[in-house]
Amino acid sequence: MTPPTIPGDPVERAGLAAEYVLGTLDARNAAAVEAALASDAALLAEVTAWEARLAPLQALALPEAPPPDLWDRIETALGGGAPAVAVAPVPAPKSAWLGLGLWRGWALGASAVAAGLAGFILLQPAPQPRLMTVLLTQRDAPAWTVEADRSGALRLAALNPRPLEGDRVLQLWALPQGATTPTSLGLIPASGQVTVTPGSIRPQPGMLIEISLEAPGGSTTGRPTGPVLFIGRLSAAGSS
Amino acid sequence: MDATDLPALLSRIASGDRAALRLLYQAQSVRLFGVANAILRDRDAAADAMQDAFLRISQRAAQFDATRGEAAAWLGGIVRHAALDQARRRGREQPSDDPSLGDAAVAPEALEKVLAEEDLKRLHWCLATLEEKYRRGILLAFVQGLSHAQISDRLHLPLGTVKAWIRRGLLQLRECVT
Repeated sequence: MTPPTIPGDPVERAGLAAEYVLGTLDARNAAAVEAALASDAALLAEVTAWEARLAPLQALALPEAPPPDLWDRIETALGGGAPAVAVAPVPAPKSAWLGLGLWRGWALGASAVAAGLAGFILLQPAPQPRLMTVLLTQRDAPAWTVEADRSGALRLAALNPRPLEGDRVLQLWALPQGATTPTSLGLIPASGQVTVTPGSIRPQPGMLIEISLEAPGGSTTGRPTGPVLFIGRLSAAGSS
Repeated sequence: MDATDLPALLSRIASGDRAALRLLYQAQSVRLFGVANAILRDRDAAADAMQDAFLRISQRAAQFDATRGEAAAWLGGIVRHAALDQARRRGREQPSDDPSLGDAAVAPEALEKVLAEEDLKRLHWCLATLEEKYRRGILLAFVQGLSHAQISDRLHLPLGTVKAWIRRGLLQLRECVT
């Protein structure tokens, strides 16, 4: 079978570029467009414009946490490309999750070193999350992911960190089911990433996680004094 | 390194900076996995698509051009195409009354959610100006990755009608200034 040819008619070309971006081309035609993009600058411009035009629809897909081991798979698939910082590999931490094979632990250790500039959180190979939620804004836009692992630690990460106005701070709260007052889990650093291990409570399914906007130093009253900007409820990871 | 400055991360990724790729993954993977899973409706397949996509991102980061669009949209496009490739490999083109193709896994309310008016209004976008009959097929194709044949099944419309309406709707969108 000869490969499909790219039409010359402008309207046909626009339609083909649009349907390539939309995803309705069959495999043969999609491959033909892919191949043509390398040499057909006008078609590439048309496809790029369509990607931008239709991109707002990406927001209609519900955000979902990927499997916890996905980054390691990607890192393994990328192979031994030299990390930006050449350092001897560190031994992988001993845990059941990492005990899948020496090669894997080695890759994890090396990746942790490569990520070293990114800070402490990235140096810790993430244990399998037990509970998770996505905190939403008041307009239901996803803003933060929260994962609780089996040790009871809560890992918080901003999806789209933004600087706060003035000297305001964000404070993290947990409200166990049945409780009437929330427990402060502390202030969130400007990086938007933090791992906390609550001393007095244990993450449970159904527990509300909230983030409030507070004056410098955070609320001292034992409950949010500013508006609750983000809220979500922990549920079992993978149950979505 | 600022994990929210996606263009800066992409330029570091283009120079082979694995830590920048990991930061990008941390900042975007929940959103992007959602994009892939909406198309594939299978977490394992979506994970495969994400892996393909991140290999492509690491190879093509130098091609990102901030003057032609948002970095987040560019990333989403790469993930969508990786997911669509997976869907095609999994036999998407066959008539879709076969539950093994994944169609049956889509709850009717999921479709309603995708088509909710308030979602479209929130987009402030000219898709909302399209006639309903054009809009539905475009949304099903873009968000859920359905083929013409699957949309025809879903909307109980002849295949030729679906193809014509999608093409017409797209050409109308092209005229619409965003």
